[in-house]
Amino acid sequence: MTRLLLSLVLLLTALGARAELLIEITQGQDNPTPIAVSPFAWQGAGAASEDVAAVIDSDLTRSGQFAPVKRANMLSRPSTEQEIYYRDWRAINTQYLLIGRVSGAEQMRIEFELFDVDRQTKIYAGSESGPASEARMLAHRVSDKVYEKLTGIPGAFATRLLYVSVTRNPGGKDYYRLTLADSDGARPIVLLESREPVLAPTWSPDGKEIAYVSFETSRPAIFRQNLATGQREQLTNFKGLNSSPAWSPDGNTMAMVLSKDGSPDIYLMDLSSKRLTRVTRHYAIDTEPTWMPDGNSLLFTSDRGGRPQIYRYDLRSGATERVTYEGVYNARARVAQDGRNVALVHQDNGNFHIAVHDLKTNRLHVLTGTALDESPSIAPNGSMVLYATKSGDRGILAAVSVDGGVKFRLPAREGDVREPAWSPYMSR
Amino acid sequence: MRKRIAKSLVLSGLALVASPFCLVAQAQDYIDVEAERRAEQEQRGQPQQQAPRDPYGVKPAQSYPATSYGANSGPAGGGFDQGGAAAPVPSQGVSGGSNVGQLLLQVQQLQQEVMRLNGKVEEQAHELRTLKEQSLERYVDLDRRVSALTTGGEVPASSGASVATAGGDSSSTIGAADVSAQPGEAAAYQAAYDLVRTQQFDQAVAAFNQFLRQYPSGRFAPNAHYWLGELYLVVQPVDLESSRQAFTLLLDEYPDNAKVPDAMYKLGRVHFMKGNRDRAREYLDRVVRDYGGSNSAAARLAQEFIDENY
Repeated sequence: MTRLLLSLVLLLTALGARAELLIEITQGQDNPTPIAVSPFAWQGAGAASEDVAAVIDSDLTRSGQFAPVKRANMLSRPSTEQEIYYRDWRAINTQYLLIGRVSGAEQMRIEFELFDVDRQTKIYAGSESGPASEARMLAHRVSDKVYEKLTGIPGAFATRLLYVSVTRNPGGKDYYRLTLADSDGARPIVLLESREPVLAPTWSPDGKEIAYVSFETSRPAIFRQNLATGQREQLTNFKGLNSSPAWSPDGNTMAMVLSKDGSPDIYLMDLSSKRLTRVTRHYAIDTEPTWMPDGNSLLFTSDRGGRPQIYRYDLRSGATERVTYEGVYNARARVAQDGRNVALVHQDNGNFHIAVHDLKTNRLHVLTGTALDESPSIAPNGSMVLYATKSGDRGILAAVSVDGGVKFRLPAREGDVREPAWSPYMSR
Repeated sequence: MRKRIAKSLVLSGLALVASPFCLVAQAQDYIDVEAERRAEQEQRGQPQQQAPRDPYGVKPAQSYPATSYGANSGPAGGGFDQGGAAAPVPSQGVSGGSNVGQLLLQVQQLQQEVMRLNGKVEEQAHELRTLKEQSLERYVDLDRRVSALTTGGEVPASSGASVATAGGDSSSTIGAADVSAQPGEAAAYQAAYDLVRTQQFDQAVAAFNQFLRQYPSGRFAPNAHYWLGELYLVVQPVDLESSRQAFTLLLDEYPDNAKVPDAMYKLGRVHFMKGNRDRAREYLDRVVRDYGGSNSAAARLAQEFIDENY
């Protein structure tokens, strides 16, 4: 009995330690567009399982480009076109109005309509359906559609985040949890729990698999893991470093850093044959490879010039060229899907900031003002950069728009959070 | 306190394994702490342990550069000595202080020296490339101005003044520019331009539009587009969209025209007035970026506008 109780307590503590992320918006756009998301009507039996409108509301708020109207300020709460009185919305200076209806018990369906209040016209109507257990994801998809309609840029709300949370264990080994959560930090799921470090999580291009470095075998090894089946495969077990896995855009090759032949160098592993090809061969440290979206070249960090800078390796010609020149330290590049913006860690006056290097103009734009920013990861629509930073002595995640205008933080309820990886668009 | 430092040491060791450069984030701490820790160990008479990266199989050779970044990025002078003191001496590995140890040390010193020089060469090559591009730009710009002068054409340097004041000195140069213009074109242009100067804006809009129908690819067509862009901003009611179209057309059709910086600046302001802050900023940034070096009034005005409004 005592034993059962103990294991129950352990289970509960484990649940409590899931490091759920909370969102605080620290800086929004100067003139966010006012929009009202009227509570969606629930057309099923019993109570609605999820407040779909609230999820959409918070998505739009987080983008920094919209200022949703508070429910308390709404003069009416329409859910069909007939129920809309435009004067109610003009009175509170709303530019757009989103209404919708949710139906279905197991298979959920969300219908929604977007209206331009000034012109008094419907500008978009759509629907999303899927299992009710995925209600929040369906709501995020509605947000994506609304965001795209109003900004012209596809939304990235129906995506997910990977991160590592560390719970300190005074007097013992820390707990490392590789966690998967929705893009708003909700619904965290622990994919791997270990008393040994877990590092460098990354996504396969189709969003169905992940790869990471785990020390569970007492030395660093690269694993890949299928999200749906949970099936794991250990890809490397070399002496020395096994780090920084990066999936090629076609999903067939994994770039990685190994130090088995001396100093850390970049290698490519063919994922079907497991055959290795050495890419760089230099006594300096070559690390943190990342693929250009066309799959024809890699960016990586190297100190072959005395200081860490970003270099580009062309896989067809074998030529290496230096990319960054601004400042004494630029590292850990991640390329946006447009192949133009590169998010990286830039050192400035001894502080480490997140910056974006434009490959077309070769200009560097520092985005953050905090001191110890690291591990940038770009949203699949290229709009935001997620990164790890420090708040007090705790590690938290934060995000900044690529123009630096919008900022929000995702502090965890407890523990340290680091090494975020924003998923690609999830194929359904 | 010490315990906490030790912990951060372990952490930075982990970070090193993940990516050797992460270490630099705590490099300054790291060096002090390591020196302190070594001193402590020596006092206790413990055998010297390598830095915590060792358990993960990183060879000392790889850890040296990481230490040295810290030294170099630290305050000038003292930093390097610190780095030297903190670097584990490899000859301890081959005890007895054999020549091999010294050779190893020398090789490492050479490697670091080559890396430093490599960095210098890269940077200088980059600077040379940038300078070459700049000097080519300057030459092209100069060439254009000189040829404009010798053929009696419009001098591009007038751009700034005509933005700041709706009159400007460009009128006089335009008057002299009819040498190579089509017959009648210069007169038609001048007539339309005179309407601007006498502030008959509605008539000026009509006159420039008429002018463009008559001489769509004439010598003064870019100027006409430019003035239309300006005029749509002063007529009542203001026609932002037509103004935007006129300036955009000028940028698209005549990217090398001397009015381009001014039109770009104005286009930024038009977008700003349309509530399109982001597009506005793009154009303003472009003016500053592309023409900021050439002492252009448009770039200065764009910068002032950014400073005031962003």
